[in-house]
Amino acid sequence: MLTAYQHLLRLYPKTYRKQFGDEMFAVFEDVRSEINHKGALARIAFFIREIAGLINGALREHLRTVFGVHQGFSIPTRRFTVRNEFRFPKSTAVLMMIILAGIVLALEKARLIQASYSEGNPVVPIEASHLTFFPTLALLLVIFYAAGVAGWAILFALRRSGVHRLADISGEPK
Amino acid sequence: MENLPLTEPVLLILLSLAGQPRHGYSILKDVERMSDGRVLLSTGTLYGALRRLLDDDWIERFEEEESSRGRQAYRLTPHGRRNLQLEVDRMKHLTRLAGLRVAARER
Repeated sequence: MLTAYQHLLRLYPKTYRKQFGDEMFAVFEDVRSEINHKGALARIAFFIREIAGLINGALREHLRTVFGVHQGFSIPTRRFTVRNEFRFPKSTAVLMMIILAGIVLALEKARLIQASYSEGNPVVPIEASHLTFFPTLALLLVIFYAAGVAGWAILFALRRSGVHRLADISGEPK
Repeated sequence: MENLPLTEPVLLILLSLAGQPRHGYSILKDVERMSDGRVLLSTGTLYGALRRLLDDDWIERFEEEESSRGRQAYRLTPHGRRNLQLEVDRMKHLTRLAGLRVAARER
């Protein structure tokens, strides 16, 4: 786990790693040694939280380095704060992924039912079911994620260009 | 004032530093304690927030003298403390207003 953490730290820009890398690793070690005394569920939750936090943090730092994006203190959280900034629609993305997973599961189920029919009982073949479940799901997730990132990038570029402010032009000086 | 209102994790980090300077692990545990275990920060989230707070001069970094590991600790700057006070005032006003409105509705 420590090795995995060190590898994930490499996702951060070099300057950030130089400034905070050792410290982050030391804190991670402290929390990990404490969490080791807890149950398996707590350990899994901790591991997932850390991976997600590192990937998200690294992405933000790269965005900041490349585009000079400064997001203030708007750390993503589902609680408490109402923000009027543009945000990637995570809940919609998750919902769509669940729907896609449901479709794939249904196709797989249909394929199993079809396979259980006898030879003399012809059924309409389900073309999409020739793919196995997990590769199909993985493929759909990758396609969906790529589409989401592309959409986000377009919206981000539009936002940065200031085109949305054109609607505010009234023609009269303020 | 810039960057207000604050998100809950950032507010908790600042509140954690309001009482005394702390290092990373201590902030994590204090945030967990203050939120009754509801807000569990990852190291990535914590240091992302600390980096932004450092950049905006809300907090400063220094090396703990007493620590054998030479750990870095963080404390609020006067600018950060002033902004935290503004946020607390804003929240006080909101809760007071909310209390009045809810009470009025119950009558």
